[in-house]
Amino acid sequence: MTQIVFYFFAAMTVLSAVVVVFSRNLIHSAFALLFTFFGVAALYVFLGADFLAGTQMVIYVGGILVLLIFGVMVTHKLYDMRLKSETYQFWPGLALVTIVFLTLVGVMLRTTWHSRGARALDPTTAAIGELFMKEYILPFELASIFLVIALIGAAMIVRRRSE
Amino acid sequence: MIGLVHYLVISAALFSLGIMAVLTRKNAVNVLMGVELILNSANINLVAFSRFSSVDLNGQVYAIFVIVIAAAEAAVGLAIVLSMYRLMKSVDLDKADSLRG
Amino acid sequence: MNPQILQDLQAFHPEMTITLTLLAVIVVDLAAPSIRKSATFFITGFGLLLALAFTVPLYRAAQGTLFYGMVALDPMAIFFKGFLILTSFLVLLAAPGSKELSKDHIGEFYVLLLGVTLGMVLLASAADLLMLFVSLETVSLGSYVMVGYLSNQRESNEASLKYLLFGAVSTGCMLYGITLLFGLTGTTKMAQIRDLIAQGAASGNNSLTLLVAVVLVLAGFGFKTAAVPFHFWCPDVYTGAPTPVTAFLSVAPKAAGFATLIRFFFTGLSRTSVVGVQWSAFAAVNWTLLVLMISVVTMTLGNIAALRQENMKRMLAYSSIAHAGYILMGPVVLSPLGLQAVLVYLICYLFMNLGAFLVVIEVYNRTGSFDLRDYRGLWRRSPFLTISMTVFMLSLMGIPPLAGFFGKLYVFAAAVNQNLAWYAVVGAVNSVVAVYYYARVIKAMILDASAQGSEGGAIRLSWTSQVLVWIMLLPTAGLMLFWDYIQQLTGGSMRLFFG
Repeated sequence: MTQIVFYFFAAMTVLSAVVVVFSRNLIHSAFALLFTFFGVAALYVFLGADFLAGTQMVIYVGGILVLLIFGVMVTHKLYDMRLKSETYQFWPGLALVTIVFLTLVGVMLRTTWHSRGARALDPTTAAIGELFMKEYILPFELASIFLVIALIGAAMIVRRRSE
Repeated sequence: MIGLVHYLVISAALFSLGIMAVLTRKNAVNVLMGVELILNSANINLVAFSRFSSVDLNGQVYAIFVIVIAAAEAAVGLAIVLSMYRLMKSVDLDKADSLRG
Repeated sequence: MNPQILQDLQAFHPEMTITLTLLAVIVVDLAAPSIRKSATFFITGFGLLLALAFTVPLYRAAQGTLFYGMVALDPMAIFFKGFLILTSFLVLLAAPGSKELSKDHIGEFYVLLLGVTLGMVLLASAADLLMLFVSLETVSLGSYVMVGYLSNQRESNEASLKYLLFGAVSTGCMLYGITLLFGLTGTTKMAQIRDLIAQGAASGNNSLTLLVAVVLVLAGFGFKTAAVPFHFWCPDVYTGAPTPVTAFLSVAPKAAGFATLIRFFFTGLSRTSVVGVQWSAFAAVNWTLLVLMISVVTMTLGNIAALRQENMKRMLAYSSIAHAGYILMGPVVLSPLGLQAVLVYLICYLFMNLGAFLVVIEVYNRTGSFDLRDYRGLWRRSPFLTISMTVFMLSLMGIPPLAGFFGKLYVFAAAVNQNLAWYAVVGAVNSVVAVYYYARVIKAMILDASAQGSEGGAIRLSWTSQVLVWIMLLPTAGLMLFWDYIQQLTGGSMRLFFG
């Protein structure tokens, strides 16, 4: 039973990603991205990453996707509802990407990955919190400076100049 | 039995699709979507390896950092796209050619 | 609080200073427009100098890692710390003098500069792949925004968009490569990865995986150092960005990229030898061959493309791509002399490159143009600028006894020492080709008649600009005098912490 649910979510993730990349309509792409993110969150749940799944939904769907849709809407004239998006060098790109995909899959399947016995699926939030305050405190603090830079930068770029 | 390899194949697919979007799409917002696909595929890898290959939650913590960074990058990217739209009334990357020497 | 973290903070004064300065500038930038321009400038300058002052005593500190193995504290990290903070300080001095940067909101520019400096300093000492990624992204994101600073100008905007899209894809690929390394070894610490690979985590089928991972990670490093084939953003971004930003990008993030490349490959993927004199790469992945190929293609393509450029900034962009190719010769040879060569080259490169860009800024301030044609007859308008630019161009060519010659001497010597003489020959041939486009600038300035190029009167520089040009000129021309000191400094700095 779990397997069927897993394959369903896996298919949803990959198929919506296909729609994102190949669809001619930008809004279709944006909404397909929603399903991709949702599918990825479901995969996190399968892997026992409960906190991460919640974070994925909140930030990716609730933040980034809304921002992307906003971007799509604002950068087209309102009466031009076709929202078309064209491509170039489609076939060479597709050939290259297929090669990349096959190489990666081949590599993945033939490698013996570092392994460790299965671990019980405990809730992860407390453990992640502790890690942030101990082992990962330096990247954590750097990430806060990073966000300050991003905030100031984005506001600076979008602000209307008086000239 | 769902194993590590299943997740890796899914992430390889997302990675390839993301690269495809970046290489072939002309609309800047579409290219940003491709970048998000690439980052998500790396995240799936990280969480899957964290479950099967590492002794603690390293991979998950890494994935949280990647989510944070991806969000900020998307925000700045859209700010630049918005600024471009304001200047050129279009976000078609073909029209971004004023720098060609 | 955790006692180990408190203890690690003792060695972290430079970074803390930069952070506090950044926050102080944000607050002060809220003040009235009349005082905030100079207030933010002085606070930033003071903060950077203080950080530099804190870096110096760290040089003698014990070797080790800080913050649970995130950041390494070794002579090479301290060297780069000082180098990067110094570069930021020099760019800061040049910033108010440029007409391109808006005076009104320049406080934000300083904030970005400080943020990027902090990211670079941590990038150069990152010993963990997570730290590497977060600091690389900090540097990159800050750079994207700095390039797009002139958001009402089309070139600047396009440049920052291209930079962001290219950079996001490159770092995304690098991240994917890092995840493969994580899967092979179960850890993100470079030292542990090296130990596990030495024990056989990458044997048999896994060596292909390791190769794929390394190629992907090289995408990120190649992007940061503008090496071929990840250099496509470089000419457009350098041309479209405000010139102080271009000057900054051509030296500092590139140097940080080299620092992390060295640290990743040497502490992560090389066998430490018992004697400690020569390293050797793992049999599993011949990364030296990869970097060698990249280096050769980079220097060749950079030089050839620069031959046709008429725009000063674009030409200097291709020139910096070519120089990255020369600098990459250092890590390839896997010897201590190679590492020392990188450090020497970077010191020389800092002054001659920043100097060249300074002259470009000054000429733009007066003529509003970056075109080579407008440099004609500059000799008549400003002998000082012409002589300085000539010195910088000759140094970039590698003419003795100027600084550029010593950089090239070291990298070529390092190659010859490791029986890679053909590699040095390729570099030398490339240097000869490069003479053409540097000489073209000198010729335009001095020899071309002032037919249409130099109407307008004499160019008089403000004393601050003059001092700044002298600061760049003296080391470029007089590096030979301090040769012992430079040798000692770089010789002592090439030690990495392998634990």
